[in-house]
Amino acid sequence: MPDAPSDLPEAAQRRFDQGAFSSALSVSDFGACLEMGLDPLGLVQGFCAMRWGAFTMSGMGRGLNPYNGAQGGYVQNYQCPHGMISAEHRAWGQNYQQPWIEDAWRTGFNSAYSRMMEEAQALGAHGVVGVIDSENPLSDTGVVEFHLRGTAVKVLGAPAPTETPWSTFLAGQRLAKTFEAGYAPVSIVTAVASVRVWAYCMTEYLMEGTGGMWANAGSAGEIVQVVDAQSKVRDLARSRVRSALQGDPLHGAHLELSTREFSKGDLEVQSRLSGNRVRRFKDFDPLATPRPTVRLS
Amino acid sequence: MSLRDEVRRAFDTVSTAVTDAKSMTSDLSIDEELNLHSIGWEPVELVSGVSLYSIPYGYWNWGQGEIEAASHAHAKAFSNATARILREAANAGGHGVVGMHIERAIHPTHVEISLVGTAVRPVDTTQRLERSVFASDLSARDFTMLMIAGWEPLGLASGASFVFAPRRTMSAALQQQSQNVELTNFTEAMYSSREAAMERMQDVALEMQGTGVVDVKVQEGPMHFASHAVGFVALGTVVRLAKPSHQLIHPTTVVSLNDASVEFDAQTLS
Repeated sequence: MPDAPSDLPEAAQRRFDQGAFSSALSVSDFGACLEMGLDPLGLVQGFCAMRWGAFTMSGMGRGLNPYNGAQGGYVQNYQCPHGMISAEHRAWGQNYQQPWIEDAWRTGFNSAYSRMMEEAQALGAHGVVGVIDSENPLSDTGVVEFHLRGTAVKVLGAPAPTETPWSTFLAGQRLAKTFEAGYAPVSIVTAVASVRVWAYCMTEYLMEGTGGMWANAGSAGEIVQVVDAQSKVRDLARSRVRSALQGDPLHGAHLELSTREFSKGDLEVQSRLSGNRVRRFKDFDPLATPRPTVRLS
Repeated sequence: MSLRDEVRRAFDTVSTAVTDAKSMTSDLSIDEELNLHSIGWEPVELVSGVSLYSIPYGYWNWGQGEIEAASHAHAKAFSNATARILREAANAGGHGVVGMHIERAIHPTHVEISLVGTAVRPVDTTQRLERSVFASDLSARDFTMLMIAGWEPLGLASGASFVFAPRRTMSAALQQQSQNVELTNFTEAMYSSREAAMERMQDVALEMQGTGVVDVKVQEGPMHFASHAVGFVALGTVVRLAKPSHQLIHPTTVVSLNDASVEFDAQTLS
């Protein structure tokens, strides 16, 4: 068994030493794991509480000139077609990536993940199956807790692990089918991208449906700035995940998008992509054409 | 080889990552991927498309007949989002998109359509088709069955219509206050909305030179933000015969011996 990492809680080490295993697997998943030769060793967890508050500039952050953007990050500017009209008129608009939010999220998630994997290593596990992750507010002071948990397993008959354990969101029959299909789990992969939208006059008018007194009243059209932000934020999350895959396939991906509106057309758009990084260890066995069935029971 | 041996083999033979290859990404389950492989197709990349289209203020509450600005905004948002996902799929080398998740939101001043799916293509490069990329919300399993039956998907068709249910006159409202009566204004509005939406969806199918539309989903009802507006949206996958005739699939009848009380717990797979 590898040496226990130094920051492993003393209580966790005591729990592991007690002898009985714990597991987050359902009975059917537990049965499937034993069938695969994966022996559950213990329920492993990782936590990280992050301050999660003033990461986005409020309306007050909107300066006279467009923000230059973080180095190398996505920035797109939008210019008002009307010219100088009044101080309130939104003469420019901007979409920009918020790497400080992405970095904070990554720090929180990765810390919780590595703590979970430390527990798995302390148990001498080859891998962690059935990973479940959550992000929940811990208090009303802008603190978000990242919580990851899964079941550490040992491959029966395999030599003691020398590398970091593998991990997967899958467990039970779905994991068994993944092996049968010729894929071995490598790790869970997840990435977040965040884009802030400072609306310019046209976005503001189109979101309000007013057309504005300076545009053609009642005009309709695509809200290009928000479409650009939503498309880009998904693209950023995907390219980040792709770079983490290093040529391996991603299975069971889940792409979600959330939007927060601060004021008229001022948005924060966030996208999260997660899935299972797997690696092919054999070719697909030739499959027969599926035969449709009708169940009588 | 037993499952245990497969698992041992997986970790004994798995090599280091191939860094020069382009990663395949997919939101399909392993079952769906196996289904695709059984007919010689494979997933390529997770793709998405989005569009927000504005509706000028004030169209929802007063008027009569169709709320054309809303119907038009829905049609434009849907076609723009579809065009974007198809472009992404084509850039990834896909021949189509399956298992598309469609999220639609109708707001008082804009319509938002978001599409996410997996681009797919035939594994055998010689079988790759010289025609435009298709989009479909059929699952990989349904796509497999469709292809086995000799049909092919051509694209996604949508039709939407939002109609204003005229307000009753003051005297009619007072007379009907204590009666159980049909509100013909709402009945007629729903009829009108349904027919217009279905016709639009069918028009799209004909434009694609399809024979029909399968797996049509409809959403209908009042708009929560406008008390006298009703909407009807229909969308489905346009199909046509790819073989000279329909291939009978002859389903096999099975009786499951599983104990109903010991069922697989999908909760743990989230």
